[in-house]
Amino acid sequence: MDEDKRIILNQLSVRYRGSDDLQLRDITVSAEAGQIIGIVGNSHSGKSTLCQVLAGVVPQIISAEMQGSCQVLGRFAKDDWRQYNAMTGVVLQNPAGQLSGLSDTVEDEIAFDLINQGIDEAIIKRRVANVAAQMGLSDQLGQQPESLSGGQMQRLAIATAIVTDPQLLILDDPTSEMDPLGRQQFFDWLANANTTVVIVSSELDDLCEVADVIWILKDGQLVANGSPVTVFNHLNSDWQIPEPTIYRLAKGMNWRLSTGAIPVTISQLKEARYVAN
Amino acid sequence: MSQIELENLAFAYPEKSFELSVDHQVLSDSMIAIVGQNGAGKSTIFKLLTGLLKAQSGKISVDGVEFSELDPKHRLQKIGITFQNPDDQLFNATVKREVEWSASQVMHDQDAISVKADAVLNKVGLAGKAGENPYDLSLSERKLLTVATVLVVDPEIYLFDEPMMSLDWPSRQMLTTIFHQLADSGHQIITITHDMDWVATEFSKVHVMERGMFKFEGTPRELFGDRELVQRVGLLPPRIMTVAELLGDSRTYLSPEDYQAQNSSY
Repeated sequence: MDEDKRIILNQLSVRYRGSDDLQLRDITVSAEAGQIIGIVGNSHSGKSTLCQVLAGVVPQIISAEMQGSCQVLGRFAKDDWRQYNAMTGVVLQNPAGQLSGLSDTVEDEIAFDLINQGIDEAIIKRRVANVAAQMGLSDQLGQQPESLSGGQMQRLAIATAIVTDPQLLILDDPTSEMDPLGRQQFFDWLANANTTVVIVSSELDDLCEVADVIWILKDGQLVANGSPVTVFNHLNSDWQIPEPTIYRLAKGMNWRLSTGAIPVTISQLKEARYVAN
Repeated sequence: MSQIELENLAFAYPEKSFELSVDHQVLSDSMIAIVGQNGAGKSTIFKLLTGLLKAQSGKISVDGVEFSELDPKHRLQKIGITFQNPDDQLFNATVKREVEWSASQVMHDQDAISVKADAVLNKVGLAGKAGENPYDLSLSERKLLTVATVLVVDPEIYLFDEPMMSLDWPSRQMLTTIFHQLADSGHQIITITHDMDWVATEFSKVHVMERGMFKFEGTPRELFGDRELVQRVGLLPPRIMTVAELLGDSRTYLSPEDYQAQNSSY
């Protein structure tokens, strides 16, 4: 397939300066543009480092020893950082730390990148209103960013990341501070997102519904790569990753797909129950 | 076990439209979850319970004693808290110093403090990080460190504000085990959480807050059995109930295992 339409990691290893251990070890994997890639793993598995490499933050901003390569939609961060950076939208783990600190209102904060690009004011206003509505922040546009709750702050970070229409959206645990309804609304939005998305999340039930591909990381290594149903049907107990709710239910009830696999999504569950009956 | 009683409690933040108002509320189970949407007043209750905020009127008593009348040391021995954001409460140069500082608020023997600090760090899986700076730990490890700073004081009542947030699965399991051990040894655990699957399977009592008021108390099965209430206060049922509903089954289930138990016995 055309390299311009893929994410290609080739023998990627990363070690932060001063660290004895490798944060990522010899990762070789690729995914197609337009897919939602779910990254799963425990503490110190390398999830956040992988997000930072995909965002180009490592090694462009945070210095680290990096071997191998990370190619995103035909580009390398080191070749043209400005263009690479413009192509990605990023939400890292601490959304409050991502605020520009220069905006008096939520509206200005969302508009920040567009203003810097010199875009026409009327277009900015429309675009900001649209993105705020998508993230459920329409009522907060006039508030100070610092006054938002944790969940609202995460939605603001997502709004600032998507306002420029990035070709690759990178989200590191974007719902950790959201309440249940906020989380559900976010994943409903994600299911219809019209771009390539890499998302780290521990919400396995939600990931199974939206992700095309799941990557499981353990101690910096990629230990599983495949569709949600494939990956969760081959869980290794050493990885210490829980089974999704639907998988537990179907396993207990002995509802299996015609392939013999245990379902992980609602539509698969309905099919498996039909097969069983 | 301890009992917390809130009477005619009223509190409002300056310059915010939020108002908290509690006529009469008793918190008296061993494993209590407080749930509700962002902004419902859950964290405000915790801040009032620990004296970080002062109510404009009303009183809070613990085991019949008005909390504001206790001296600081006795308050710490009565109620301990971990905040949602660990960075709000960590400030020492090393992980072990952080725990020792906490212990020194209620103990004086340095050797005993050191031994106890090692023990609780071991309990939360941070023994190997004792010499590190708290800010070199991962977010998940900093959360566990805040738990250690309360465990070392061993209060009668533990308040945890979103303890599972940002924790990975092994840490969640470890913390759940610690909670049950504490409850089994006569402590009271009160937890604010958004994790309804966890509430459904691990807690004996749930209190629902909405717009600064307590709106419901009961067992998880009673709460999630009342779909109209769950929807009205902006909550979601456990995942298994959403899944069952999509299969055309609107009964109350707390976990996949509960579903299996209710559906495979005949």
